[in-house]
Amino acid sequence: MATITEKSNIPDAIKNAFDQRGLEPGDKASLAFDLFMAKGLPTAKSEAYRLVPITRILEKAFSEEVSAPSEQTNLSLFRSIHEQPSNKVVFVNGLYDAYRSEILDKSISLTFAQPPAPVNEQDPFELLNLAFCNTMVDIHVPESIIPKYPLAIIHYFDSPTFVFANPRWKCTVGANSEIAISEHTVTTETASYFNNKQSRLVADENTKVEFVTFQQGAEREIQVNNAFVDLAKNSKLRCYTFTFKGLLVRNNLTIAIHGENIDARLNGLYCLSGNTIADNHTVVDHRKPRSFSNEIYKGVMDGNSKAVFNGKIFVQPDAQKTNAFQSNRNILLSESASVHAKPQLEIWADDVKCSHGCTTGQLDEEALFYLRSRGLSKEMSRGMLLKAFAAETLEGIKSEQIKDLVNQLISKQLHQSP
Amino acid sequence: MLTIRNLHATIEDKKILNGINLTVKAGEVHAIMGPNGSGKSTLAAALAGREEYVITEGSIDYLGKNLLEMDPEVRAREGVFLAFQYPVEIPGVSTVNFMKSSLNQIRVHNGLPALDAVAFLKIMKEKMKLVEIDQSLLNRSLNEGFSGGEKKRNEIFQMAMLEPKLAILDETDSGLDIDALRIVANGVNTLRSKNNATIVVTHYQRLLEYIIPDFVHVLYQGRIVKSGTKELALELEEKGYDWIKAQLTLA
Repeated sequence: MATITEKSNIPDAIKNAFDQRGLEPGDKASLAFDLFMAKGLPTAKSEAYRLVPITRILEKAFSEEVSAPSEQTNLSLFRSIHEQPSNKVVFVNGLYDAYRSEILDKSISLTFAQPPAPVNEQDPFELLNLAFCNTMVDIHVPESIIPKYPLAIIHYFDSPTFVFANPRWKCTVGANSEIAISEHTVTTETASYFNNKQSRLVADENTKVEFVTFQQGAEREIQVNNAFVDLAKNSKLRCYTFTFKGLLVRNNLTIAIHGENIDARLNGLYCLSGNTIADNHTVVDHRKPRSFSNEIYKGVMDGNSKAVFNGKIFVQPDAQKTNAFQSNRNILLSESASVHAKPQLEIWADDVKCSHGCTTGQLDEEALFYLRSRGLSKEMSRGMLLKAFAAETLEGIKSEQIKDLVNQLISKQLHQSP
Repeated sequence: MLTIRNLHATIEDKKILNGINLTVKAGEVHAIMGPNGSGKSTLAAALAGREEYVITEGSIDYLGKNLLEMDPEVRAREGVFLAFQYPVEIPGVSTVNFMKSSLNQIRVHNGLPALDAVAFLKIMKEKMKLVEIDQSLLNRSLNEGFSGGEKKRNEIFQMAMLEPKLAILDETDSGLDIDALRIVANGVNTLRSKNNATIVVTHYQRLLEYIIPDFVHVLYQGRIVKSGTKELALELEEKGYDWIKAQLTLA
């Protein structure tokens, strides 16, 4: 017997938007939507979303006028940011934009596919994406290829009326290939949107993948970023998540270790101010033996900002000789900023090396005085210390251009000249 | 150069300095000695502008300006240098980069053009020789994993780079073996000139065999209770601080 739920917390706007799609009841999207309806948005009791008021924020956003995603847009902002030659996949207000996207490397193919079945049926946002996503952008890098240009996934938003966006992409990297992927959000200042995005990266044997996500959206941005990475044996992953702006940014990053001798590094930096809430939920799932993962997440928090870090490491019974490490360190610059950190290790194998560590503190006053006593201003000293703190999370980024961009964004966030 | 009048300082409401009077002229070396807890390091910190210490009374005149009104960075730019007793380890900041920013801040404040990388490295190479410090050490994170001797040599290296008018050495001899002591003292002596002054804060007479002071002051319970020449240091070494305490009790 179905349980009778309390008053539904699903905004009418979502229901109306789905009804307008006019889909058949048996459709995959309809099934996903039914599942979502049965679940509802997260409540205060939903463990995975307990610490961020995502439903309240969404209800408020959806109560405003909702505009359908439109391709009518002004892209001057976008041009100035991405002049560098790269393989570009561009979503404008949530919809794939064929005109602005371009694949320069002939070896890379871009096709469209129906979204597959959900990876995590428990996650309401994945179900929502499935219900609303028309088509998945399917990027394929064949075997034994090192493309000349990196791949940039760009989410562009410029609508001042609220947009509900559900983009989805997948990138498959063939065996022995190498690729650098960066994901960006480019917006006008007044843009208002909920970007409920879903991505999947599948790296075959012996691949090298760099995957950098930049989160520097609009003030009113609400983002749920569901990202799944599958790694096959002998592959190397360098994954970076840099979060700077937005009203609420939730990252669900899951790395599945499917083979032996995999080297996976996940770095994250959230550098927040104002009322921004950033929530990083990461999962590293070791399913096979003799692989390595190292996770380093750091936060610098000012104003009323709030961060959540929840890092899960699973070591499955098969995954003997796993080395898995995790650390989360935070600096609070104001009394009203806060951090909730929760490492979670579940180890089912007995011959493994795992560790986790977590610290939260203020800027080191002794160090600050030391630098000032050598003639550096308070602001310069602060900036120097914070950049030094953040530097570890940038380690290993290959592209100078990407590294410069991160440094610029950090400086901007700390009100420093680079 | 420096005139301290009736200086009182507290930390967390605890009185540490209880009326210091001290005059230091250009070209002079003053040694401040005293037993543990007498306020030596507090005096050094108060001169450098450490904010935890609250000045409750008194004044400090430095080259005709009110030192107490200056932020720590302004004091540094005006030529005050504190060699720390416990130099701070700062991961991720190399001594080279830090010194370049520091020197240029000080130069610009004094109306000099900022140095480019080439000019800076030239000066740095010269000063490195003075304290026998290796460049690989300076390329590393500031003081991180340095031995006690390396940290103190790095302090004197920084002093050589910044060429202060008033240098305050806070227990620079603590934790140094005899070779490191000689190197550090040699650095300080080379930098001595008729235009600058040095205040050496120390517990032991040992350092004063290498850096010969013009004046020696004994600090006790936050006051200078006895001043003299370098012979006073020898007398202290021989008779111990109890001798001073006994004299004070008699008086």
